[in-house]
Order: sequence, then structure tokens, then C-alpha cells
Amino acid sequence: MSTAFDILWVEKYRPRSLDEIVNQEEIVNRLKTFVKNKNMPHLLFAGPAGTGKTTAAHALAHDLYGEYYRQYMLELNASDERGIGVIREKVKEFARSRTPPDIPFKIILLDEADNMTADAQQALRRLMELYSVSTRFILIANYPSKIIDPIQSRCAFFRFQPLKKDDVVARLKYIADNEGVEYDPEALETIYEISEGDMRKAINVLQAAAALGKVTVETVFKVVGMAKPKEVRQMIKTALNGDFTGARALLRKLMIEYGLSGEDIVKQIHREIFSNEIDIPEDLRILIADYIGEIHFRLVEGSDDDIQLSALLAWMSLVGRKLGVSG
Amino acid sequence: MNKHHKKIPWIIKYRPRTVEEVVNQEEAKRLLTTWLSAWASGKKPAKRAALLYGPPGVGKTSLVEALAREYNFELLELNASDYRSAYAIRRTVGVAAFKKALFGKGIIILLDEIDGVATREDAGGLQELLKIIPETNNPIIMTANDPWKDQLRPLRDKVLLVQFKQLSMTQVMGVLQRICEKERLECEREALRLIAQLSQGDLRAAINDLEAIAEGYGKVTLALAKAILRGREKKSDIWRTLNQVFYAKAAWMAKRAVTNSEEDYETLMAWINDNIPRKYEEPGDLYRAYDALSRASLFLSRAKFKGYWSLLSYVFDLIGPGITYARKEGSILKLRYSYPERIKLMASLREVRQIRESLAQKLASRLLVSKSTVKNDILPILQTIFRYSKDLTYPARLVLGYELTKEEVKYLAGNKAEEIIELAEKIKRTRRIPREPEREEVREAPREQKRAPKKKKQERKGKTLDMFFS
Repeated sequence: MSTAFDILWVEKYRPRSLDEIVNQEEIVNRLKTFVKNKNMPHLLFAGPAGTGKTTAAHALAHDLYGEYYRQYMLELNASDERGIGVIREKVKEFARSRTPPDIPFKIILLDEADNMTADAQQALRRLMELYSVSTRFILIANYPSKIIDPIQSRCAFFRFQPLKKDDVVARLKYIADNEGVEYDPEALETIYEISEGDMRKAINVLQAAAALGKVTVETVFKVVGMAKPKEVRQMIKTALNGDFTGARALLRKLMIEYGLSGEDIVKQIHREIFSNEIDIPEDLRILIADYIGEIHFRLVEGSDDDIQLSALLAWMSLVGRKLGVSG
Repeated sequence: MNKHHKKIPWIIKYRPRTVEEVVNQEEAKRLLTTWLSAWASGKKPAKRAALLYGPPGVGKTSLVEALAREYNFELLELNASDYRSAYAIRRTVGVAAFKKALFGKGIIILLDEIDGVATREDAGGLQELLKIIPETNNPIIMTANDPWKDQLRPLRDKVLLVQFKQLSMTQVMGVLQRICEKERLECEREALRLIAQLSQGDLRAAINDLEAIAEGYGKVTLALAKAILRGREKKSDIWRTLNQVFYAKAAWMAKRAVTNSEEDYETLMAWINDNIPRKYEEPGDLYRAYDALSRASLFLSRAKFKGYWSLLSYVFDLIGPGITYARKEGSILKLRYSYPERIKLMASLREVRQIRESLAQKLASRLLVSKSTVKNDILPILQTIFRYSKDLTYPARLVLGYELTKEEVKYLAGNKAEEIIELAEKIKRTRRIPREPEREEVREAPREQKRAPKKKKQERKGKTLDMFFS
């Protein structure tokens, strides 16, 4: 059957119910008992990106409330919300809303909870206590150590392991076959290696590579390269050549055409500085990283993107000119 | 006031009559006196023209007039910007250069504002001047504010260069004080200080200001000076501020220029940010200037967000003298100031950010990730698919799947956008799109929720959290 529209494969092939989740067996089994008992404690899902934490939370809610589960679940993402005050208001509002017919609680899903400051987490803890009668929190974090102890002790802890190579490759194979995509088997292994056990990233790379035609090791690398603006590397090289004005023209392009923020760009420069593509003495990488850190700090303090990055490029041009390196 | 009494403006009335009276230009006086006395004694010096340069209102023209009087030369004054073509120069300067004055008097040809001649379109005029200079029988004196323009380079080699120094605040004040005494005016010292300060070493401007205040009120007090000169202060436009920063002769001048600027800090900093490379080119100079600006921006954000407004003073230190004294190695470039790209592109920047935000909003809840993950990880993948797909029906189907707007498609697809949008419309016409029931439901839900009555706590008996923490 074919429909007129398509959606991204990460969405299309996401397991909807706990039964569809093939890996993380032990976790799935524990979650299924919650569904059976129609009750659960607060949960803390921790583990690397793309291991199914958010998917498991949604699947759990799906199995608890049925197909229209999203009306009984408040989805928050700590990195998108503006402070604990906003979160508090949303939780308050949600706690008042309609309760599901045969489950005595609603779910508040707080993704990327480890992005919250310790103070905000303290406030969150009070929220969890205040609304514990009518709601359950599912907190999701990459680094559980960043979650304060009083919250950890109130949650049942679930550690998600990085996905195994076989699981990822099998899933990619399933999707590729289902979509009628041609592929070299070793290309799928390359995708696994690049994505480091991150299923979401793996599927996205597969999809982008498939758009180009047959999925080969070559197209996989091509796609990964394309997803990073080539101007970043070019800008670094131009600056290290001592051409400040040229480097800054590229900076403007990155900001305007790609809409990247100062922090995005600083992070990408940092990543590039340690790549083999930039051919500079090893100790210079450290020196540059140190100054990038200083600039990053000034950005975090709220100063102007354009000025800070110009300063970084001016410094790199000076260093490049003095040491005669050309990137 | 008597209508027939012709009032002489003070700048003319108090113009120096003698070389002696010209303030603070000893070096220039020495150079010019030697040069003119050679002419006067009939020995033509090797360089037959002189170029006097320096900021406006420091006495260039006045000194020439005083010298002419002292050495008994006739002064032929030509405003160079009125005679720019080769033909006009030949007719005026050319004729004067070979003229013999009546009664054996020599003639000084004074060409004011020679930098006005040397524009690219009027290169002919300058060429003509270059032909006349080595031949002239009469001394030619030119003035300029900025002698370092590229077009003036050939001229610089052929003339005696005489620099005029910017006047200090005390010197300007001294002159104002003398005028006050002669006019029998009651003048507050603090008022004179303010006038001198705002004049930035331009004596002509200072005398004009003094006269403006005295004329209306008969006395010069600080309060009057403040009230009247505020307007003048405001006029100090951004270019002037930039000039005062890049060409400052002392730290306090640069600091005052940025402190007095009417532009807000961000705008001022955006201008400096874009114009540093138009004035400096040595990597070391560029780095020092940008580092100062970068720290200024840091101080400003701390001042703003944490309310430490006393930090503002350091912002001014860094964007004023911090920029001026960043130049240690290279010379100053002569490029014209440019309007900050940043401000020009702000609109399009805002637009791109909005499109990214709306895409993030749409996709985050569908893909169950944060908006920032969408922006950093998902959008690049979509861009690859939209720009490089072999078969554009696929991105077209994605357009329908996520109900993307034209602007969003343009952002993702670049020059493929038109084609993809057309395809999407074609597909939409030919096939019916089944709606996704789940998403419909989610959209409806919140409205229902608000209408739903509050449930009583008692209904949720039995199972509570406590059973997990016994």
C-alpha cells in the first residue's frame, strides 16, 4: 500500500509498543510489569543517546493508556524549556487536567533532565513530591551522575546499554529491505561504527545515504561529510593562513546561510581542530583549544556572537601567521 | 541690535594676525618659515609646493595668511574642490603659477581642501597639478585633513609635508579664555572646559560654540553650555566617533568619543567590529583590537545581565582607547568605513532562525527529540536528502508528511526548492492523503482537558507511590 506522503524513518520505524522493542530485554520486562499492575514509581532512564530511552517511555505510555496516550503524558525537554518556572507552570496545569479512565496517574516525561542545574533539580524534586498522587515522572538523562541524589533515590533506575552491533545492523537491514533500498552489507557496518551505537543517528545516516542512491561505504562517508558545513573547516584553514578577512566572510556565511549560533560554530571549530583534516602541530591544537574555551566562556556569559567569533578568528590568523602553519 | 552694524563672526575676528599668535604649531611654523624665506629671497626651494595637513580647525589656513602678511606675499586663495577638472586647474592654478605680481610682490597660491580634488573621477585635475608644481614661479600651498589617501601618493613625493598637531584641551581653553576677556564676558571655567572637550581639539568649532552661547545669553555658564551644546554633541555621528577612535592622539580622546557617542553600545560595537579590518591589517594589530572588543562585549553582557552597571566604564575603555592603541605594528589603512554587515543581515538572520525554530518545533514532537537535537542533528540530514536526492519525489513526499511550508522547503532544499514544491503539489492533487488519526487526536486533546472537571483525590485510592518506598 502506498500513501502520498513519507515521514522520516526514525519516526516511521520507531517501536510503538513495548512488544516491538527488540533489544533492552530486561528493561522491557520490568516496564511490562508496570503495565500489568497499572502502577509504577517515578522512573529514571539513563544511557547514551539513541539507545531507546525516549522510545521506551512512549511505548510504556502507549501500553498503559492506549493509542491516544499522548493526552495523558506531558512531554517536556529540559533543554527547550525556559527555566524551572515554566516547567512548574506546565506541571501544575497538567496535574489539573483530565485523568485517564482506568489508570490512577498521568505521566510527566522530562527529557534531557541532566541539562538542568542543581538548583532547578531541587525545585523539580519538590514538584515530584507535590504531585505524586496524580502523576508519575519519567526522567531521561545521558549522564545519571548529573542527577542529584534526592531525585535518584525517589526513582526506579533503568540503565540503557549502548546497542550491540548485531542489533543495529539487523535493524538497518530490516529497514533497507522494507524500503527497497539497495546496499552493500559492509556499508551498514560502517554506519554502525560511525554512529557508535546510536540507533537514531544510524537510521538517519542510512536514510540520507539512500537518498543519494545505492548505500555504499563511500556514500555513507559522503553523507556524514555533507551533514557538516564544509565552511567550518575552510574557515579554520583560511584563518590559520593569516587571512582574517576571508575567514570572517565564511563566518558570516555560516551564521546567515546555516543559521548557526555562535555556540554551534565554536563547538564545530573545536571538533575540527582535533581532526586529521587540519594539519597543524599537536601542541598547537591544545593552544587553540584553550583559546576556543575562553571564547566559548565569553559566549556563555551572554556576549555578542559575531564579536567573539571575530576575535577567535583574529587570534587564529595571528597564530597562523607567526608560526607559519597553513592548516 | 543695530541692523547696519555688520557683525564679524568671532572665528574671523579672532583669527591670528601674526605667526606668533598661531597656537601650538611650532614645528609647522619653523618648516614653513624656512621654506617661504627661501622663496622671498628669490631662491626657489627644491620642492615648490607645500602640503599642510592635520585635523580641522587647528590653524592651517590662519598660519598661511599670517605668513603671507609677514613676508609680504599676495595671497591667491582657491578652494580646490571648486576646480576639479584638468581644464579648471590649468585655467586657475596654471595661470597663477606663472603670474608676476604687481610691484614685485610674490604670490602664494593657496589650495584649500586638496583631498577634495583627489577623487577617482577627477584624476585629471591632480595630474594637471603635478605638471604645474615643478615649474611654478610662485609658492603653492595646499591643505588637507587626510593626506594619506592613495590618490594623493604621487603628490606627497613632490611636496614639502607639514604636519599640524591636534590642539590639546588646555590650549583650546586658553584661547576661549582670552576671547572671553576681550569680549568682557562672564565665563565660567567649567563651561569653557566643556566647550573645549566637545570640540575635540577643533578650535574653530570651539570658538563658534562659545559665540553661540554668548550671543544669546550675554554670559557663558556651565548650565547654558550643557543645554545648548547637547544638540551638537548628538550630531557627532558614528563616522566621527570612529575617526576619533581610530585616529585618537590620546587615550582620553578615544574614551570621550565613545562615551559621548549617541549610538547605543551594541550598534557602536557592531560598527567597530566591522571596521577594524578596514583600518588595521597587521595580524597583531587585528588580534589586539578584537581581543579588546571581545572583552568589552563580555563586560557589557555582565553589566546588563547582572546589573553591574559600573562595569560600563571598562566597556568604554576597551572600545575606545583599547581599539586605538591596539595598533602597534602596522600603519592605518585608508579604506572608507562600511556599514556593519551584521545590521544589514540581521533581518535575513532573524528569518533563518525563525525557519529553523519552526522546523524544530514541528519535528521535535514527531521525532521525540529536543529542538536543539533537531537543529543540530536532524536538519543537516534533511538538507542532504532535499538537496542531493536522486529522485525528488521522495523529498516531495516528506514535504507532505510533515506539512512543510514553502519557506521551510527553501531553507532545506536551496535551489531545488521550486521543483520539490511543484512535485509535492502534483502528488497532493493526484492522491488522497489519509490523515494520521493519532495526531488529530493529540491536537484536540488539550481543549478537552481544560473543559474537563477536576477529579477528586479520593477517586485515586489504593495504589499510590508509597508502596514502592516502604
